[in-house]
Amino acid sequence: MPTGKDRLVVSVGRAKPLPTLLAKYSATSLGVQPLPVMPAFAGMTIGFRIPFPTARNQGVSTMLRIGNLTKAFGAEEALKSVSMEIEAGEIHGLVGVNGSGKSTLLNILFGNPAIGRTGGYSGAIYLDGERANISRPSHAVRLGIGMIHQEFALIPGLTVSENIKMGREKVCRFSERVLGRSFSRLDHRRNREDARLTLGRMGIDIDPGTYVSDLSISMKQFVEIAREVDNPELKVLLLDEPTAALNREDSFALMEILKDLARRGAAILYVSHRLEEVVSLCERISVLRDGEISAVFSRAEFDADAIAENMIGRKFLRVSRASRDCSGEPVAVSMRDFSVDMPGERLRGVNLDVRSGEILGVTGLSGHGKLALGVGIMGLFPSRGNVSIKGRLLEKRCASQVISNGVAFLPEDRRTMGLLLDHSVMDNIVFSAVQNKGRFLRRFPLSSLRFLDRKKARLYAEECVGKLGIKCRSVFQKVKELSGGNQQKVCIARSLALEPEILFISEPTRGIDIGAKEIILDILVKINARQGTTIIMASSELEEMRRLCDRIAVLYRGAVFDVLPPGCDDKLLARRCCGEKERAGPAAER
Amino acid sequence: MGKISARARAGGFHPPQIIILSFVAVMMAVAVFLKIDVKTILGDSLVRLAMNGVLVLSLVPMFNAGIGLNFGLPVGIVAGLLGMCLAVNFRITGLSGFLSAMLFSVPIGVLSGGLYSRILNRVGGREEIAATFVGFSFVCLMNLFWATAPFGNPVMLWPIGGHGMRPTIGLQNYFGKALNDLWSVSVSGIRVPVGLLLSFCLLGLLLHLFLRTRIGRALQAVGENETFAALSGIDVRGVRTLAVILSTVLGAWGICFYAQSYGFIELYDAPLMMAFPAASALLIGGASGGRTTIAQVVLGTYLFQTTYILSAPIANELLIPEAAEILRMIVTNCVILYALLHRGGVREA
Repeated sequence: MPTGKDRLVVSVGRAKPLPTLLAKYSATSLGVQPLPVMPAFAGMTIGFRIPFPTARNQGVSTMLRIGNLTKAFGAEEALKSVSMEIEAGEIHGLVGVNGSGKSTLLNILFGNPAIGRTGGYSGAIYLDGERANISRPSHAVRLGIGMIHQEFALIPGLTVSENIKMGREKVCRFSERVLGRSFSRLDHRRNREDARLTLGRMGIDIDPGTYVSDLSISMKQFVEIAREVDNPELKVLLLDEPTAALNREDSFALMEILKDLARRGAAILYVSHRLEEVVSLCERISVLRDGEISAVFSRAEFDADAIAENMIGRKFLRVSRASRDCSGEPVAVSMRDFSVDMPGERLRGVNLDVRSGEILGVTGLSGHGKLALGVGIMGLFPSRGNVSIKGRLLEKRCASQVISNGVAFLPEDRRTMGLLLDHSVMDNIVFSAVQNKGRFLRRFPLSSLRFLDRKKARLYAEECVGKLGIKCRSVFQKVKELSGGNQQKVCIARSLALEPEILFISEPTRGIDIGAKEIILDILVKINARQGTTIIMASSELEEMRRLCDRIAVLYRGAVFDVLPPGCDDKLLARRCCGEKERAGPAAER
Repeated sequence: MGKISARARAGGFHPPQIIILSFVAVMMAVAVFLKIDVKTILGDSLVRLAMNGVLVLSLVPMFNAGIGLNFGLPVGIVAGLLGMCLAVNFRITGLSGFLSAMLFSVPIGVLSGGLYSRILNRVGGREEIAATFVGFSFVCLMNLFWATAPFGNPVMLWPIGGHGMRPTIGLQNYFGKALNDLWSVSVSGIRVPVGLLLSFCLLGLLLHLFLRTRIGRALQAVGENETFAALSGIDVRGVRTLAVILSTVLGAWGICFYAQSYGFIELYDAPLMMAFPAASALLIGGASGGRTTIAQVVLGTYLFQTTYILSAPIANELLIPEAAEILRMIVTNCVILYALLHRGGVREA
């Protein structure tokens, strides 16, 4: 196990090249074209490793070299003498838990002005053998460094091609000669053609004339990458959690694009929380812990558990739970012909019975409706069909009625739907219970004019903080200051205050770092075991669902395609996600 | 700058409040130096705080419910004007006249607030500009009404012809200064309108308490994140409607406070621009991020009004007319701009 911090790793041998894009692969070998244009199928299989193409050979030079990079914010050292090298054509993984210094490193490399404002850094950066002093992002771009952010840097009111060609537009030659480049007329036809070529090379089928505002989140991410792919000068590409907003299948499509980019000689620094991704994508992985490179793994030594332990600096325990057969239990939630009109995630006639006390996983490719289940029941989007909770038919699907029937819902997007970011931890935890159950309130004749019993609320919030291990200075700290994992814990605590019998949770671990992920899953298992809460989790993390769920329902085109046991075969699950029914293995007969 | 902001954070103030506060202090010092009657000015500043404070207070429910600054304040003001006209029409005088004016304006405010909220609930995201135009057009619509209003008390009607309301109605025989003179005491030469201040404080306290109740918490949650509120089982439309009605009724009461202190009811185009000084005062007080507190209302109103009454005598004294006024406009408007710049964003760095 490599733990020495300045250990140098020799590169792995050349691997066999792989067909350019998995889209082709899945289409030819399976004869299936999944609904989204992504080569989605491959993404659904866990641990299914793709033979890795590499452009690294003896003649290739070091593209990016970082020597003894140190950066302090005030008294706090964010980076302590970090050194690393990335060769041309290499995809280098950088992992670390929140606050380990990953973002600081990327900010220095991309010349984020905040670095200069906070006192600059010490150490040296060499780009293609030459010392580079990067002080502004525009400077970084000129040097051939591209960066893809977690949040998109696209202009929604412009078309895909305008976004891709921004700053590199083709112009009409005559007007350029007369008016100069800045004022010349844009040649939209050629720009669009260029964008189409770039997108085609990435295997993405969208019209370059589409407005960016009309695209889905994953498509936006692809357009952002297309902008870098389109840059012929690109030497180094930095990616900061590019898959945080993507689901699994789109992430895999993105990786294929990155591999293609690396084959053409770019050095890629890939930062991500998702360890499996990094393991399957990168040739080497550097682990950052507390601002230091704590280990460098080369491809031959990849071991997800060892890397995880290195990241969090302690033993890494995976949560798991024996699946149970709940078919004898009473039905907790029953959906009949349930349709939800959620844009991009339509449900078209779901029939599903969830047994009381079970953990049901709901999965499917993006766009097939798994995220519409919870929000649809809560009435955020118009819906049709029948839903009954514990045998009682829901007449009106509005959140207050659903909640009064003992249902709690945790949305996939915590920051925009699941939290009051400007309120304190305590306010968030008690909010739903105060509004719906009248808990934590003082006595007053008019129930809507009752005051919060701050003492009771504080005690409860503190109890939750202790029980769920929420890391905060106090229960009065604002939620927006917490990390993603702790925010999710606050969300869970809020729903627990409702004392729910049924818990809908969407993407429980999205955007949460590896240590906190297991804690969240553990909490879910405990809620289920202790309170007997029925949990319906919609997720694209198949591996997590296998460990937790009693059954996994696969949605395809907005309807339940199959219900599988958690122990079923990877490939079978992936086929079901793509809507393939034949060759049903013995595991699927249930 | 760094020093100021460090001190600002320690005191709970932000840079703009510090700047305005020091501006007021400098003006005060100049006034003392020029031997201007500072005691009268101090007394006046207290009157103006309560006189304008209720109007500023009326912006709070809508602001905290995420509907933005209520530039449709004229809707509430008109309701208050109608209430006062009714009281004058029934010839109710003194404090009871003032109280009945407030009482009459409540049903009118609830009705017009309800209609107003129906418009605002349809223009999701562009409420402020919609409210501005609702206010403008409502004032013009009411001009028609004032010109033909069937009131009978001749003090309110044109002396010649006896039809249609006068633009300015004197209140001295009815309830002008009813609150100003209530329990007014003199503390070392400064006239302190205790009754007026107490009533203003009472309204502020009630609103403050309302925001801490269950429904008040729901209101602020809607203001911060509508999706979250909807998912938490809150009737978002209902809460927004409530906030608009509350703001409208408080606006009506606000003009009652203002008019009794001013001594006149002003009709026709007078309410047109009333929303802007109130909104400015709220922003000067440090309202940001879609939430404001009663303390910020008091601070903002006091600073805004005090700079206003301090500048005129100083300008006269220094014999450069307009200079102090220009400076005052620059400082207050810059602070409003500053507040607007940082309103949506997070200001804790």
